[in-house]
Amino acid sequence: MRILAVTRATVVRIARDRGALFFMVLLPVAIIVVIGVTVRGFDQFRVGVVAAADAGPVTRDLVTTLTDDPALRTHVYPDQSTARTALRRSETDAVVVVPATLDRQAAGPGTVTLPILVAPSATNAQAAVAAVESAVADHAGRVQAARFTVAETGGAFDSRLGLAARTAAATPSVSVTQRTVNGQSSYLPLGYSYSTPTMLVLFVFINAVSNGASIVQNRQSGVYSRALAAPVGAGTLVLGETLAYLSLALVQSALIVSVGALAFGVSWGAPAAALALVGVWALVGTGAGLLAGALFRTPEQVHSIGPAVGITLGMLGGCMWPLAIVPAWLRAAGHVVPQSWAVDSWTELLSRHGGLHAVLGYLVILTAYAAGLLLLATLALRRRLASVG
Amino acid sequence: MATPQAAQTIRPQQDAEPLLDCSKLVRRFGSRTAVDGVSLDVAPGETYGLLGPNGAGKTTTIKIVCGLLEADSGTVRVAGLPVRAAPGPAKRLIGYVPQEVALYPDLTVRENLLFFGRLYRLPRRRLERRVEEVLELIDLTARGEDRVDSLSGGMRRRLNIGAGLVHSPTLLVLDEPTVGVDPQSRHAIMESVRRFGDQGMAVIYTTHYMEEAERLCDRVGIIDHGSLIAEGTPRELVALVAEKDQVQLVASGDLTRYAEACRALPEVEGADVDRSDEGTVHAVVRDARSLLPRLLDLAHANRVQIRSVEIVEPDLEAVFLHLTGTALRE
Repeated sequence: MRILAVTRATVVRIARDRGALFFMVLLPVAIIVVIGVTVRGFDQFRVGVVAAADAGPVTRDLVTTLTDDPALRTHVYPDQSTARTALRRSETDAVVVVPATLDRQAAGPGTVTLPILVAPSATNAQAAVAAVESAVADHAGRVQAARFTVAETGGAFDSRLGLAARTAAATPSVSVTQRTVNGQSSYLPLGYSYSTPTMLVLFVFINAVSNGASIVQNRQSGVYSRALAAPVGAGTLVLGETLAYLSLALVQSALIVSVGALAFGVSWGAPAAALALVGVWALVGTGAGLLAGALFRTPEQVHSIGPAVGITLGMLGGCMWPLAIVPAWLRAAGHVVPQSWAVDSWTELLSRHGGLHAVLGYLVILTAYAAGLLLLATLALRRRLASVG
Repeated sequence: MATPQAAQTIRPQQDAEPLLDCSKLVRRFGSRTAVDGVSLDVAPGETYGLLGPNGAGKTTTIKIVCGLLEADSGTVRVAGLPVRAAPGPAKRLIGYVPQEVALYPDLTVRENLLFFGRLYRLPRRRLERRVEEVLELIDLTARGEDRVDSLSGGMRRRLNIGAGLVHSPTLLVLDEPTVGVDPQSRHAIMESVRRFGDQGMAVIYTTHYMEEAERLCDRVGIIDHGSLIAEGTPRELVALVAEKDQVQLVASGDLTRYAEACRALPEVEGADVDRSDEGTVHAVVRDARSLLPRLLDLAHANRVQIRSVEIVEPDLEAVFLHLTGTALRE
């Protein structure tokens, strides 16, 4: 009861603090949206299309095929000059120039050539061309089917093309899927699937550290000293605060997980593993928050230094960008901080589809961090409480 | 604070077993001895004042009494229970009111009282009932749902005391509860402390305001440099500096002859004329109040016109000065 009295007081106080609520709820969601929108679409090629506005059904079908292809992010340009400018400015990876005579050529017996423009310096031009070729081949299959039907049974090419399209849509396709065995993807999936887990790691930690101000305030105001005049030991106060900080970290985690899943469609992977990661990271945050409360001298110090430390550790740990893109020495240095292990574990879970077994090693490492921080915080806080008398 | 309801007056039970018994307390911080062999006891219903300047060792003594600091040597017993060996049961009997306002500023008045009550494991219904009683006692019932940071300084001080009363302690320890308080709130706090004593609670009250100690306390201990240098009722302590009063008579006429006449009286130990401002005769006498009519008769006989009379009796300030050679507020 006495432990819960301390827990309740801290939770109520922080829940009433508008600044804390901003850090706990609004800011994480806002950053998730910003980074989610920014860091997305890198798995698609930007392809420009130039086609005559009054073109026939073959051209329209080709443009639709390119636009609907999930591997392509298509933009239709009004003319070739505008498309070339966009290409020069790297606004697009490739431009498909649809000949004005495509419909006529497609209905005839000859070969149809489809020019694709690329910039000489573009690093992913070949991959973009390959993706376009795949979509064009899909379209060409229907054109060939229409030609074959006209040749065998007669009739108008346009109507036969329509028939081929309908038949293709109704016919189960043979799909080729690629699976990487023992893949070592070092990235979280892009978009919200990247921003949400990393912001979970970043903000649960920062928020817990910022909440350390509440402990500093209690030390300063004499509330702890007064509480210790009751039949209450320092351990009761430390345990009560630990439960409070853990509860707040778990509530914030649950909020971010829910917003990610419901609003942004983030898949959190195997539930047991995700739950374990959320729980152990909340413990890491709790330890950091208690340690901040024990070490800092004024609430102002906590508010000014705490978030800066949290952001720095987050940057080092890969919350802002994947550690795979930084130099090896920085990657190694990053793994001194717990954030990097947390991001790695989410990568294992979300990019490599690992289960509880796959993240077990990470869980052990993060538990060790949590235990170390909690031990340090408890010792420091007990020492502080012993001196408040 | 609220007027007590049919408060039963219980005076100190001097013959009773002391509720608080401190024996030879010593506490050092490095090479500095903050408390040096302090022994004191407080009976049920007694208000004991610990009077001394800042840094004298009052707060350190109080913290040892409340179990917040361990003494290097010496013992503290509350109702016979040793605070060091059995802190739980002993602490249940103590209500501690620290010098600073030790409350959660962002919780309401009621939430603060509930929090401190929960630390003493009061059953829920009893706690709720007790919180209402305390709110009434400190006259904050109407502000129960307001946050502490919205209260005035005086209200916070009252709540600070209330938080020490929720668990119905038998020994109330107040560490300079009127520091930084406006005169009205100060008066209210002192009145309520007087009532706690009247209701049978033992009260130990530290202050460096001698007028508070004189008004409130049944007994006063004077502490300086960590040592209790004198102890007794205010009257007993004043007697230490002998019963000499000063009389200042602002007058006109032949003041030299009048001063000589005064000196001739056996109760007058000295009389001088001060002509620096208005004409004033300073006299040091024994029992000024009973001697005053004769001094006035003597003035009439010497054709001296008295315009004002002031009697200065010795107080605890004078006692402190007498015992330590320094003023209390230095």
